[in-house]
Amino acid sequence: MTSQETHIFMELAIQQAKLAMGALEVPVGCVIVEDGKVIASGRNRTTETRNATRHAEMEAIDVLLEQWQKNGLSMTEVAKKFSNCSLYVTCEPCIMCASALSNLGIKEVFYGCSNDKFGGCGSILSLHLSDAVSPNKGFKCAGGIMAEEAVLLLRTFYEQGNPNAPKPHRPLAHQTTT
Amino acid sequence: MSNNDLIVHIPDEEPHDLHNQPTVSVFASSIDPKHANQIVRRLNQIAPLENLRHVKRIQKKVLEGGQIQLSVVLCLAYEGGDQLYGVPSHLQELINSYQLSPFITKVCKYEATSKEEWQEQCKFWPTSYHPRTYSIEGITGFSKEDSQSVLKFMQSAVELATSDGLVVNAAVIVDPSAKQIVSTARDLVFAWNPCKDDSCYRKPDLFSAQSISNSLDPEKPLHLSSCNHLKQSYRSVACLYPWQWAEQQSHSQSSYYCHPLRHAAIVAIESSAARDRHLFPNNEGSREKYLELDHESPSTSSPLKRQKTVKDDKLNGHSQTSNHIEDGDKLNIHSQTSDLLSARPYLCTGYDIYLAWEPCTMCAMALVHQRIRRIFYAFPNPKTGALGSVHRLQGEKSLNHHYAVFRVLIPEEALHKCHT
Ligand SMILES: [Zn+2]
Ligand SMILES: [Zn+2]
Repeated sequence: MTSQETHIFMELAIQQAKLAMGALEVPVGCVIVEDGKVIASGRNRTTETRNATRHAEMEAIDVLLEQWQKNGLSMTEVAKKFSNCSLYVTCEPCIMCASALSNLGIKEVFYGCSNDKFGGCGSILSLHLSDAVSPNKGFKCAGGIMAEEAVLLLRTFYEQGNPNAPKPHRPLAHQTTT
Repeated sequence: MSNNDLIVHIPDEEPHDLHNQPTVSVFASSIDPKHANQIVRRLNQIAPLENLRHVKRIQKKVLEGGQIQLSVVLCLAYEGGDQLYGVPSHLQELINSYQLSPFITKVCKYEATSKEEWQEQCKFWPTSYHPRTYSIEGITGFSKEDSQSVLKFMQSAVELATSDGLVVNAAVIVDPSAKQIVSTARDLVFAWNPCKDDSCYRKPDLFSAQSISNSLDPEKPLHLSSCNHLKQSYRSVACLYPWQWAEQQSHSQSSYYCHPLRHAAIVAIESSAARDRHLFPNNEGSREKYLELDHESPSTSSPLKRQKTVKDDKLNGHSQTSNHIEDGDKLNIHSQTSDLLSARPYLCTGYDIYLAWEPCTMCAMALVHQRIRRIFYAFPNPKTGALGSVHRLQGEKSLNHHYAVFRVLIPEEALHKCHT
């Protein structure tokens, strides 16, 4: 994987984040890549769904599971597919998403800015590392890819004031919720 | 054993061995009560207890005959320090002027993480105990009535976990202010999916969830039709074996829909979000409105009434299920203000969830995101549990929301009991 390709895919993830921003959602987006091709994309939909677990990663994963099973893939084949997929996401996956990615056995994750409140790939917990309990369930992980752009989107969003946050939380300007 | 003893708070930090809590040695001295204020004030200046802020400076003992004896902590005693020469020189003046006679004693090194730890600590030397910077009902104990309702809801969750022959994890989200079930779910990692077009399975299973909630009314004990094929193995409990899905033998053709991440808690959150959208289809500013109302005194009741009417219209307009009308009736008995609060919460703010098993990391974090107030679980999850077993998300300071966690001690046999 060349760094040029990495940037191309992260650029696509940022486009997803911008779509989220346009829909008044926390601007985080992602794409999932298999064999050098984007096979799914997702963006935050927590406000629209009133379900705070509908992060970009979860949206993209659901697209794939639906697609693959429609194509008649068995669970063993689905597992094999995931083990060949890379995720590009604008912000470090949160503890929930990192755990989900480990459960699925994804190959690798590239992220933009780190998530120092909820991050599950090194910031708060390190769920990408395999351990004795879950051998071979870790995934490769690299952060800081086009981080400035990812941060800028989040900062713009929170400085405008998140119209969906409950009032007492408003002053938290740089909070990320992915 | 009373009901209250069956509900155990799982603290934010790993508890120490109750009877072997780490201690440190300090110099202390008994003092004349009439000098206590002066001495403490002086000590706080010249020998503050920097890393022992939980340790009370003064110990008060009531001797026989009602006489009061006060002792004060002077300073840390360094290991190996001699009792006479160990007292730092800058304290000598104070010791001399009040004619103190220092002795070495032990105090607990860390702040207590539970009431039990705190009680043990005070046997050495009194400490202070701050359960949390914020208070959540139940941490300091449950009333008889509350613990009864906790046990009933937990029983519903455990029965739901075993209701289909195969033991899976189950979740029941409850609005405790109305003692009402908001949503219920079993693990749906493998779901029977007779419906082929995707509009069908992407839609949360709202109405069946509602009908289950009726049958799980805690006032009416649940009757399971049969449990003949209950297996002893828990391999299908998604939170216990989150990687198990990949090993699942494929079922003949695609009548089964598999989703490796649809653990019970995730599905229950989805149902409660669907219920929210269904009951309050107009998202625009409704929360803002009630937050504003919340800050107004009840005497300015005209906006309250207006809001109430809107809500009733919505309920009546969507009265496909009898449950919604019951909701309306129940709400009517309460005051209008609490109507609004229980009617339209932000996500699951104020709600409790009952889970048969301690949730895995994914589910525990999902419950942080959805702002659940309290989590009750019956059985621990030693290999992947995130509420004390492997991780302890309720104690992760960086998170923006913290729930209180309780284990409800019910025997594992409850999973194998046949209710007919
Ligand atoms: Zn996430
Ligand atoms: Zn789980």
